[in-house]
Amino acid sequence: MSAQHEPADLTPAVELPTSPRVDFYGGCGWIAFGVAVLVGSLTMDRLERQHINPYTVPGLLPGLLGIGMVVLGTVLAWRSWRRGALRIAAPAASRDRHDERRRIGLAILLCGGYGVVLIGHGLPFWLASTVYVAGAILVFRRLSRDPQERRFTPRSVLQALVIAVATAFITQWVFQELFLVRLP
Amino acid sequence: MQGLADLGHAYLSFLNPMTLAYGLGGAFVGIVMGILPGLSATLAIALLTTLTIKLQANDAILVLICSYVGALYGGSRTAILLNIPGTAANAASCADGHALALRGEAGRAIGIATSGAFVSTLFGVLCLAAFTPLLAEVALSFGAFEFFWLALFGVVISGSIVGNDPIKGWLMGLLGLFLAQVGQEGLYAHDRFTFGWDELSGGIALIPALVGAFGLAEVLTTLADPVERKLVDLRDSVLPRFREIVQYWRTVLRSGVIGVFTGLLPGVGEDAGSWMSYAAAKAASKEKEQFGKGSIDGLMAAETGDMASIPGHIIPCLALGIPGSAPSAVLMAAMIIHGIQPGPMLMIQHPQFVYEVVAMTTLASVTILLFGLFGVRPLLYVLRVRRAVLMPIVFVLCVVGAFATASRLFDVYVMLAIGVGAFLLRRRGYEMAPLVLGLVLGHLLDKSLRRGLVLSDGGLAPFFTRPICMGFAAVTLFTILLYVPAFRAAVAQARGAIAGAVRGLLARRGGS
Repeated sequence: MSAQHEPADLTPAVELPTSPRVDFYGGCGWIAFGVAVLVGSLTMDRLERQHINPYTVPGLLPGLLGIGMVVLGTVLAWRSWRRGALRIAAPAASRDRHDERRRIGLAILLCGGYGVVLIGHGLPFWLASTVYVAGAILVFRRLSRDPQERRFTPRSVLQALVIAVATAFITQWVFQELFLVRLP
Repeated sequence: MQGLADLGHAYLSFLNPMTLAYGLGGAFVGIVMGILPGLSATLAIALLTTLTIKLQANDAILVLICSYVGALYGGSRTAILLNIPGTAANAASCADGHALALRGEAGRAIGIATSGAFVSTLFGVLCLAAFTPLLAEVALSFGAFEFFWLALFGVVISGSIVGNDPIKGWLMGLLGLFLAQVGQEGLYAHDRFTFGWDELSGGIALIPALVGAFGLAEVLTTLADPVERKLVDLRDSVLPRFREIVQYWRTVLRSGVIGVFTGLLPGVGEDAGSWMSYAAAKAASKEKEQFGKGSIDGLMAAETGDMASIPGHIIPCLALGIPGSAPSAVLMAAMIIHGIQPGPMLMIQHPQFVYEVVAMTTLASVTILLFGLFGVRPLLYVLRVRRAVLMPIVFVLCVVGAFATASRLFDVYVMLAIGVGAFLLRRRGYEMAPLVLGLVLGHLLDKSLRRGLVLSDGGLAPFFTRPICMGFAAVTLFTILLYVPAFRAAVAQARGAIAGAVRGLLARRGGS
């Protein structure tokens, strides 16, 4: 049994950057995605009514790509499992991880809010951009570990607003006026 | 002779103040983006593609090439002063460049980077002028079978070399190829994976996808990390050091050749040229122990290797329509937007364009020399801007960049989706370069496979028996099999046996 679990056979040519646990779940995700692509390709219209050459059905390459994802996903999951993916405990929660997750969540929320809600729904570009840039600067200053930077003062708020207005107007001027590119 | 005349004409056409201003502007934006850690040459070119969309084709491509060269050159400053590579290609410069900076020789290190970048880009330009027409001529004999293997070869090689884990590299390549299949396919205009969503029929556009993968993903990565690095002070002269180019001419020449050669490999990226040159310089050096501790030889090798690979990446992009790296993929997309289709037919349809690109790349190397002479210290102020201020501004540019190519809000949503996906994948050790190459080559692979099968009436034999196909197939399959432990062990055993036999033969000859 021990020979069956010999890790030397499975050691990749180079060092891996992520934990086996993360890779195991990643491998399972790739298998699921590959199966979905394969099913989508198999059920895709084969255009028989148009009497096309059967070797040129639209689902041919996507189907092969789906199979490739399933195979490589299986190898990734199997390799991670052999490296102890299910034996290694998940890393304990720490303040750093909690902070990082909060920053990521807020960054995605701010970027998504700007790209999906503020832009392209009637609000002028300069106003939408000013609101987003000023908001993002203030939020990330507030999240800083430096107590000096974290404190809101009239000066820091004004500074964020000036940067935001300048960014919005310079971007609008350069793209729209100077290079004649349409803005959202 | 016609080629030389075209080249001379191309150089003359760029000698006017407006063109030079465009070149300097492109290089300036590139250097600033390169200096800012994480913002890559790919993002610089993608954003400038949208900014220059209304310019004449030649002016727009000039701006993009200058920003490409500028970004890689600018990245060395961050590597030297902050010990963070400004772009991935500058990672090899960190160890020796930063060690020199800590010794109080930051200016000297930057001067070496400037002179190395200038000379190696010019060396690459010579190769670009010499090899592109030759490669394009060979590529004229390519058919569907050869293009199928070329596309597959590109994705497999890119997945193997970029990053630490080939399995993840290949998975990203497959994902890129899959994303390229979304929308109307090329033979019958049939919608694939659009789920009835009309806006997906046009497919996933390259520029918004790359702005997401390289722009938004970087904004999120930077904002997730609250640590600000300390900048090393710059006290000594930053002027280019051409004396050291003469002193280390072997390193410069070797790294130039390695840079151009790695540039020819599809999707490998500039960092491969840099690392391979660094490794070769270390292997050949008499002062190996100095590498990583402030070796001039090491810094010179890293900087010349990555810069020489830029013209190297442009060669397959022009001659085959296969980009050598992510930035050259965007450059290729920009050429297509401006009505120039790179590929084997380029030398027939626009023969002068290849020489114009040669002249543009030469001009780009001159602009970085000018910025190296006069603009080092002022440009470094950009590194003092706090990330909480800089990243929201970068994201505004990402949104504008994604929107402006086609004036579609849908492209902004694509950028957001791919950006968040790329951020999550990057945190799990997946590299973006194979995804980009897959996205670019997906259409070619699909069309070539299906056309090839029609030509062979469903037979697979021509995919393996035509001479060029045999070569590509052998290398592609060998590269994949090399990651199967049993095959790798057999190859190592065979290599050991051959080396032993050669050593034995040499020993016998020496003895007699």
